Amino acid sequence: MLAPMAARAADDHAPLRFVLIPKTVHPWFDKVNTGAQAAADLLGKTTGRKVEIEYRAPETADVSSQNDIIERAIATHPDGLILDLLDEKGNHATMLEAVDEKVPMTVFDSLPPEGMDVTAVGADFCEQGTIAAQRLAGLIGEKGEVAIMIGVPTAPNHTRRAECERATFAKYPQIRVIATGIDNDSIETAQKQASAIMQAHPDLAGWVACDAAGPVGIGQAIRESGRTGKVKEVGLDNLNDMIALIRDGVADSSASSRPEMQGYWAVIAAWQRALGQKTPKYIDTGIDVLTKKNI
Amino acid sequence: MSLETTFPTTPPTPPRLPPLRRLAARCMRNPLGGVIAALVLIFGVSCLLSPHFLTGFNMMIMARALAFIGLVTIGQSILMILGELDLSVGAIGGLAGITGGMLMVQAGLNPWLSLVLCLLLGTACGMLNGVLITQLRLHSLVLTIGMAGVYGGAILVATKGVAITGVPVDISFLGRGLIYGVPVPFIVLLACLGVVAFVMVRTPLGRYVYAIGSNPEAARMLGLRVDAIRIAAFATAGFLSALAGILMVARLGTAQPSIGDTWVLAPIAAAVIGGVATTGGLGSPVGAVLGAVIIGMIENIIVLFGISPYWQSVVSGGIVVLAISFDSLARRYLHREA
Repeated sequence: MLAPMAARAADDHAPLRFVLIPKTVHPWFDKVNTGAQAAADLLGKTTGRKVEIEYRAPETADVSSQNDIIERAIATHPDGLILDLLDEKGNHATMLEAVDEKVPMTVFDSLPPEGMDVTAVGADFCEQGTIAAQRLAGLIGEKGEVAIMIGVPTAPNHTRRAECERATFAKYPQIRVIATGIDNDSIETAQKQASAIMQAHPDLAGWVACDAAGPVGIGQAIRESGRTGKVKEVGLDNLNDMIALIRDGVADSSASSRPEMQGYWAVIAAWQRALGQKTPKYIDTGIDVLTKKNI
Repeated sequence: MSLETTFPTTPPTPPRLPPLRRLAARCMRNPLGGVIAALVLIFGVSCLLSPHFLTGFNMMIMARALAFIGLVTIGQSILMILGELDLSVGAIGGLAGITGGMLMVQAGLNPWLSLVLCLLLGTACGMLNGVLITQLRLHSLVLTIGMAGVYGGAILVATKGVAITGVPVDISFLGRGLIYGVPVPFIVLLACLGVVAFVMVRTPLGRYVYAIGSNPEAARMLGLRVDAIRIAAFATAGFLSALAGILMVARLGTAQPSIGDTWVLAPIAAAVIGGVATTGGLGSPVGAVLGAVIIGMIENIIVLFGISPYWQSVVSGGIVVLAISFDSLARRYLHREA
């Protein structure tokens, strides 16, 4: 399937330019960008036509700020936009402008707006939260007090994970969710929140989180309170700090989406679209459970 | 011996400047000369360096993005001229937007009636700030930090952080519409700026605002109703923030709890760039909006030029400092030459 397209791509030597716009500046998106650059390098080498990825991140995770960045990117008429939508409904009007300007789009880590022919690359947020909650339930013997750290309360993926974690814990009659913290995707805030919650609930058995920064802060709080091993943690994603916490035995594991793979396949899909090919509606990049044994 | 002193009948003739410098001197005598010169410079450089800058689409998106921050900037600049500051304007805009969404979607109220109620809510929030500041003799900076928490917290309580979707399309024209290619929010901005500029320049109320900003005690001794004018200014800022919030809801088609999060510092920076003194009594809303244009243009070219996101703050901050320095240095140079 790729061979004829590769030949066609080689026909035109002008570089293909894709603009990658994540939700905000964050290490998780750096990993997405790493995967995207790897795909661009590969496509450039195999087709002979250079592929450029421009990484444009909003400074804050705010829909209107992201819309502004998307609009400015559309003004440069790239060969494709690769977007992580903050809110598919709030981004909808801006995406229609891209359609009007004939700029093809691919989304990752988010759902595309209804009725729009856009490929979505990513993992199932609900599945990720469910995996984390089920694993924690097993670690604490399916009984006891647990807490959930919500990331940014206005981020749909964070709230979706929290919903599914709550729904999973609700299946265990002897597990009680006794506290919910909000970390706003900040490690420092997560650490403060987790410390305070653990002070208030000395019998707390375990933690799950809904974003990448939260579990790192929780792990720091567990270590500082000297309750490593007594309070269990199942984290999310694969930031370096998270992996270090697993290696040190502070966190048991992490239900990690694969950001590099999301960036990689988003570029492949965007490249195919730029060449006028049809692309799948959804590319599931899966979820890894990172433990001490496999990191 | 005569004690009579003779005075020259004609003032000393200033040294004659070369034509270009004379034009520059004339421009700089205008209070808005510096900001306009900086704006023209940035605009010219952007046109030269990016083929995507001077396109109809790019001008349209810049005008629309300016509208929201511009409305908040007008309100903030009135307060700054008065010697006050309101750090809750963003939260008021967000609260008005969310309330609008709830009234339209959850309560099923007529969209236009909802908009009016939201504007009243924003005005009331601003007025509440003003009343608390004047009656409790509190510093506006401190009080509005607290009120920003109250209004922002109310948004989270009402929404649990989840956006309100399904906003009626009846109002989408306000946020997305174009009239002869000009975005509707930008037209709203121009209309508001025209009204406020008229009031500030042509009416006694405007002159009172400058007088209070220059010296509130002297204004009080002159019999001006200082507290009433301060409350009215806070109410106006609340009204304009609410208007920006509602237009943003119309633009997005959803009421996002994050609306207004970025409307706190940018309007203050825009006003300062536009020549509004942080100590009060100096500047104009028109200058402040021109400052917002400079900030908007910088944000635009950062993306157009492909500057790394990690360098964006450094670059935008640097250009803002350059723009302010350009104004200050040019004035000093021309003053020395004269």
